[in-house]
Amino acid sequence: MADVIVADNLTKSYGTRRGVVELTFAVAPGEVFGYLGPNGAGKTTTIRTLLDLLRPTSGRATVLGLDSHHDSVRIRGRVGYLPGEFSLYDRMTGGEYLTYLGNLRGGVPADHIRDLAERLDVELGIRIKTLSHGNRQKLGLVQAFMHRPELLILDEPTQGLDPLIQQVFYELVEETRADGRSVFLSSHVMPEVERVCDRVGIIREGRLVAVEDIGDLRAKEIRTLDIHFAAPLRPDAFDGVPGVHEAEVFGDVARVTVGGTMDAVIKRAAAFEIVDLRSHELGLEEIFLAFYGGDGGGE
Amino acid sequence: MLRTVLGKTLSEQRRSLLWWALGLFLAGATYAPFYPSIVENAATFDQYMESMPEFMKEAFLGASGDFTSPAGYLNTELFNLFAPLLLLLFAIGAGARAIAGEEERRTLDILLSTPVPRRQVVIHKYGAMLVGGVLLSVALWLSVPLTGPPFDLNPSLVDLTAAVFMCFLLAMAFGAIALAIGAATGRRALAVGVTAGVAAGTYLLDLLVPAIESIEFLQLLSPFHYYLGAEPMIRGLDVGNSLVLAGIAAVAFGAALVLFERRDLAA
Repeated sequence: MADVIVADNLTKSYGTRRGVVELTFAVAPGEVFGYLGPNGAGKTTTIRTLLDLLRPTSGRATVLGLDSHHDSVRIRGRVGYLPGEFSLYDRMTGGEYLTYLGNLRGGVPADHIRDLAERLDVELGIRIKTLSHGNRQKLGLVQAFMHRPELLILDEPTQGLDPLIQQVFYELVEETRADGRSVFLSSHVMPEVERVCDRVGIIREGRLVAVEDIGDLRAKEIRTLDIHFAAPLRPDAFDGVPGVHEAEVFGDVARVTVGGTMDAVIKRAAAFEIVDLRSHELGLEEIFLAFYGGDGGGE
Repeated sequence: MLRTVLGKTLSEQRRSLLWWALGLFLAGATYAPFYPSIVENAATFDQYMESMPEFMKEAFLGASGDFTSPAGYLNTELFNLFAPLLLLLFAIGAGARAIAGEEERRTLDILLSTPVPRRQVVIHKYGAMLVGGVLLSVALWLSVPLTGPPFDLNPSLVDLTAAVFMCFLLAMAFGAIALAIGAATGRRALAVGVTAGVAAGTYLLDLLVPAIESIEFLQLLSPFHYYLGAEPMIRGLDVGNSLVLAGIAAVAFGAALVLFERRDLAA
């Protein structure tokens, strides 16, 4: 089966603001593709170009084998989309809103809507005006999933969701993949992408800097461990342990930076009495720096 | 009601439309009780009006200068300013809100992620404006036969229909201009401001230019000329002028379709 999204030198430039530059990537059917990058990197621009809300300056994209601009209406019938920033019609209830969008899609079975609303725990009878940000986000998710589209394009889908509902969202993504359908989701947090995606494209300053398998990425991943021991340690306690990039020992506290598997570090630390252990995910910028050597550019 | 963009837009506006309709009805009804005193003092009024400069007289009375017949009275009091003003306010607001309002409130992204073509959204939004405009026009029309007779205000209902209809066309023309500016820019306040400015400017143009004979032809540039100049309340339907007004609406509407189709939408 053909790729569900193909970006071919896709470029969008704005006057002064940065857009995206010569993006080339493909998303396979049944794949969950994470689109990772700091805020302002061009994630939303990419997504809105795929939806024909923006028109490419050069290059092109196809979605489900159709041209993103010329066949937009047909694409939209088969895609579910959650924007990064959106509002709903304040005066409608959630149920009315979903019915309306369902009607514009030629009808969506009411039990799909009910089912999703129940799982995401969103009240459909209440006016949208009175809903919290999190509940509006949930309605946004329901409208993206409710017609069981072949492809979901989700811009920062978990923002504003509490952790329990995030889990439900991850389940929905898993089920979508199990169905052979595809998901393209953007995020600025690594753990989320790791949690649900098969592959990840990393975008930075409008350019796609890498497309990686999640497995490969994990192998490269770098974390920092802060370990508090019962007694002071020798400064060279972690020297030569596999995976350790850097280790500093200050009396009874050690800060160890580890790449890949934790196994050797934990086993080494276990030789001493441990009071506390904390693991820190590195921020995206630090990961970029670690992976791609930094020109230190940042935003 | 939630089956189409048209239905949803109307359903959303239903309360506001009722208030607008009530307003138009009251606007029409307000003038009836004063009519008998105008008739009584007809001679004094005529004298007073005669003393005015020609262009001011025309501004106040309309071209015919007839003020004391039922048709003349309604033409002067209702259809020269108040009725078009209210209908224009409604249409410009609705036109500006149609696309730019959704875009600014950030509801447009999801709407346009459904398989509804952009042009269909424009068509339905303008359709909702037309339906709303018809509703308000009916309310305006009804006010005359329902409140006029006790006060001997009995104009020809055919001419009344013509006046309401041409006033409606004028409003829909300006509504379409606001729609087009909103669709082209995504900015509601800009659409309201520019359209209201154009309306005020062309109104004054129609009013003042006739005072200077050499540039009187400039009047032809004002949409108001085709409505006010026709005095449909007195002289009945002017088909040619109606077509001009409908043509302005059609051109602006076409521009809205084309400009919205080509544009990057604001996130």
